Amino acid sequence: MESLSGLGLSVALALLGIWTMVVRRNLVWKLLGLNVASGGGILFLVALSHRPGVRPPIVGLGPGPAADALPQALVLTAVVIHFATLALALALVILLTEYRHTQDARKLEEGSV
Amino acid sequence: MVAILLAVLALFLVLFSLTQKRLLWGVIGVGVHSLVLAGLYLVLAAPDVALTEAAVGFGLVTFVYLLALRRTGKLVVAAVPLYPLLYPAGEGIAGLEWEILERFARWCHRDLELIWVPRAEIPRLVQSGEVHLAAGGFLSRGENGLVFTRPLVLTRLVRVRVAEGPVGAVLGEPAAHLVGPKGKLFPEAADLARALARGELGEAVTDLLRLREWTMQNLFPEAETTVLPEEYGFAFALNPADEELRQSLEGFLAELERQGELRELVRKYLR
Amino acid sequence: MRPILALGLLSLAALLAAGIAGLWPRENPVDPDPIAQGWGVANAVACVVLGMRLWDTLFEVLVYVVAMVGVRFFLGTLCWRGELRPVAQSPLLRRAADLLLGPILVFALYVAASGHLGPGGGFPAGVIFGSALLLLALAKGMERLSAELYEPRLESLEYVAAVLLLSLGAIVLILEVRTSAAFIAANLLIALEVAIGAWAVLHRFASARGEV
Repeated sequence: MESLSGLGLSVALALLGIWTMVVRRNLVWKLLGLNVASGGGILFLVALSHRPGVRPPIVGLGPGPAADALPQALVLTAVVIHFATLALALALVILLTEYRHTQDARKLEEGSV
Repeated sequence: MVAILLAVLALFLVLFSLTQKRLLWGVIGVGVHSLVLAGLYLVLAAPDVALTEAAVGFGLVTFVYLLALRRTGKLVVAAVPLYPLLYPAGEGIAGLEWEILERFARWCHRDLELIWVPRAEIPRLVQSGEVHLAAGGFLSRGENGLVFTRPLVLTRLVRVRVAEGPVGAVLGEPAAHLVGPKGKLFPEAADLARALARGELGEAVTDLLRLREWTMQNLFPEAETTVLPEEYGFAFALNPADEELRQSLEGFLAELERQGELRELVRKYLR
Repeated sequence: MRPILALGLLSLAALLAAGIAGLWPRENPVDPDPIAQGWGVANAVACVVLGMRLWDTLFEVLVYVVAMVGVRFFLGTLCWRGELRPVAQSPLLRRAADLLLGPILVFALYVAASGHLGPGGGFPAGVIFGSALLLLALAKGMERLSAELYEPRLESLEYVAAVLLLSLGAIVLILEVRTSAAFIAANLLIALEVAIGAWAVLHRFASARGEV
């Protein structure tokens, strides 16, 4: 049940994030959508590693079988890398705002500023 | 059970934040949402990921966003149309204040958005924070709860007398105090002019710039005008809580005045 | 435009649901305990991150370093003006911040060094220390904190840590060492790496704030 609710939430988060990225015109809103979508991706892998009644994959931590350690290890680094790439993207947005004076993606594409 | 509750809470938070108009609320909502996600990871037997996500999502990412959007975003202006100051021209908007606002928005990297509103609505809109600035034919009478920048253009109130009859003015303007108990108040200046032209009013109280607009349209050629002695100024009005915006706008205007560009702009539009 | 997007997203969701449905009924995963014990650690996630998939992790760290170099480069072109003022000017808060730096550093070191035994590891430890620095910057003001943690020197320390981590990874990969000492060393280096990167990001963003 936990696994299923996690999977459902992750799909919803990914869809909402992509929707925001496409529909919003402000670059920072787009990044926020990317943030939500990546949270959905991380949650997807974590929810896949879960089985009913498992314990964390640490030796001697409670009874029962352990959860799958591989997806958790994959997303552990992804969370931190997400922070780094987000900081880089925001730095680029700041630079763009500095020189083009707008954060509106449509105005930037048209080159009207 | 806990997992379902957390998932519903996270979904609610993300729906709340992604449907916001203000970027600030969106960022804060997503931050809290990632804290809830960390709790969900804990329930899903992934304590390592939960630890990392709590520290990253709630602390670092939110703060980096907040630092980045410290002074970017939209600048929403509520305005009353008035011919040489701020008026719709074809598809776009033109005027003295519009040119100043456009330069200011470019200077502080914000996207300008303008909404036309009736005069009496302006204090409420600015005080509630729905708009950042009030501009255009917005003549202040020193209202409480608003702060004003330096006056850009000075003007005086004027009585426009066409015939015998009741006095009219625009609701919310300083002239509204002069109409007396029998006077009529109108939400917009266009309604006032229409009423005066139809003969519903004998007299209107307005200001010199509005009278100039009417004269240029040749509305009341035979009117008899009396200029009142008290001086008023057209200025931008802001919310007192928004001290940062007031300081930057005041600094920008001072810079314009120092370089003499402000006087040139006034001369260009008010020849 | 929007109806097409909605349709596309819904079909994506349907595709995902169909893909997940094939996984049911779930089998129990391989028991990770013997594998972790074979590497001499208790935390199976740490065993995967720093043992079986060390190659992966090294390049993740490299991505992190490169992203931080990018942030420094791009925000370094903006002239620095304005500063992050402390939230409260109270001397009590500043003093408390001074006193708290030590315990937080110790806690982060604990999280890093015990990463092979329980929840934790280099990545969470670095990020925890970064968040702690953020709180300190809010309490004391960015200027005072950045005078204490001089960034250019930390920058070279970050590159040294990256090189050390890569060489440690090379040693572990080539000689196939399987001791918990390698785990502790790698975790500490990663924590140092991530903490310095997070501090660089915060410092640069706060300093370039006046220009945003």
